[in-house]
Amino acid sequence: MDIERERRIIRAMWGYNGNLEPLCEVEDRGDEIVITLDLPRVKKENVEINTSEDSVEIRAKMNEAVCWERWGSVQRRISFQEFRKQIKLPEPIDPDKASASFKRGILRLSLPKKKRKVFIPIQ
Amino acid sequence: MTDTVRIVEEEGVRLKNPIVIEGLPDVGLVGTIAASYIVEKMKYHEIGYIESDLFPPVMVIHGGELKSPFCLYGDEDVVVVSSEIAVPPNAVYPLTRALADWFSSINAALVISVTGLPVKNRIEIEKPEVFAVGNSEVALKELRAKQVELLQEGFIAGTYAIMLRECYKRDLSAISLLAQCFPVYPDPGAAASAIDSLDKFLQLGIDVKELLEREEEIKLKARDLMRQAALSASGMQKSAEQDMPIMYR
Repeated sequence: MDIERERRIIRAMWGYNGNLEPLCEVEDRGDEIVITLDLPRVKKENVEINTSEDSVEIRAKMNEAVCWERWGSVQRRISFQEFRKQIKLPEPIDPDKASASFKRGILRLSLPKKKRKVFIPIQ
Repeated sequence: MTDTVRIVEEEGVRLKNPIVIEGLPDVGLVGTIAASYIVEKMKYHEIGYIESDLFPPVMVIHGGELKSPFCLYGDEDVVVVSSEIAVPPNAVYPLTRALADWFSSINAALVISVTGLPVKNRIEIEKPEVFAVGNSEVALKELRAKQVELLQEGFIAGTYAIMLRECYKRDLSAISLLAQCFPVYPDPGAAASAIDSLDKFLQLGIDVKELLEREEEIKLKARDLMRQAALSASGMQKSAEQDMPIMYR
């Protein structure tokens, strides 16, 4: 991976508008897309998920803001109160059949694909 | 080639056949989190650092003091190798060779690499299990004596895998402790399990309660390093750890 692309990925983790981008993993499981996100300091009731056929947006408010002081060369104080992530899906999904679970700070989204596999019998 | 990585010891450091704990960034940052917690709890001092042209041109500042991100901590009996940045894939071999040469020069009694074993169902696991790999019959005997479960089949990839081999070449006893962990999320719970297992070898009596209580804070602080480590891992065939080896005995 080239250095500039790597830098862009790392830089993208830090928003300067009070939002933090969560660590996230997207897995294609054939019939469904499974997305997990690490959301420390978040309670289940403070997670908001909105999905369409081709994208998912997750917003999660933290129990308390994270504030780092005396840090960084650009600014000395930064605080975050919300995780926010928008994910473009690799294939269209059926939003009505989507489901989510939240356990120990990990959000798991199960997004069934619109085009399901069809069994073809051999004649 | 080992001079591309230099181990620089602080003056006046005296080591007596130390046990080495290596906790470099890898899956779940298990080794890094465990090493940092051990250094903090045991109040180990910095005894040296590692430098190389193969590392990114990065220094860290702590309390206004300039430091190398690759540091050595410890006392006469224990050395902890830790890093605050991911090991670039092209530095893995020179780094492990240089470290193994240094471990040999200080007559290390045992080299223990602490790392993670990524598992898909980690979310369902309350207390992660720890498995071990040894680099010799002596190391395996030690592991059996301490009743640590051995990894029987599979691939291991990354710095710790090469460390086992480089130590073997130098007749150094080395083991890897692998705690079940999240593949791409920092995992303080897995680090706590690894520390519990380490204590069978070190008897430092480290209580992991505080580590577990600070889990969420650690996860937040470790996000950037986790992302770096995940990017670096893609160049180290880490995905092979999920594969089944073809050769059976």
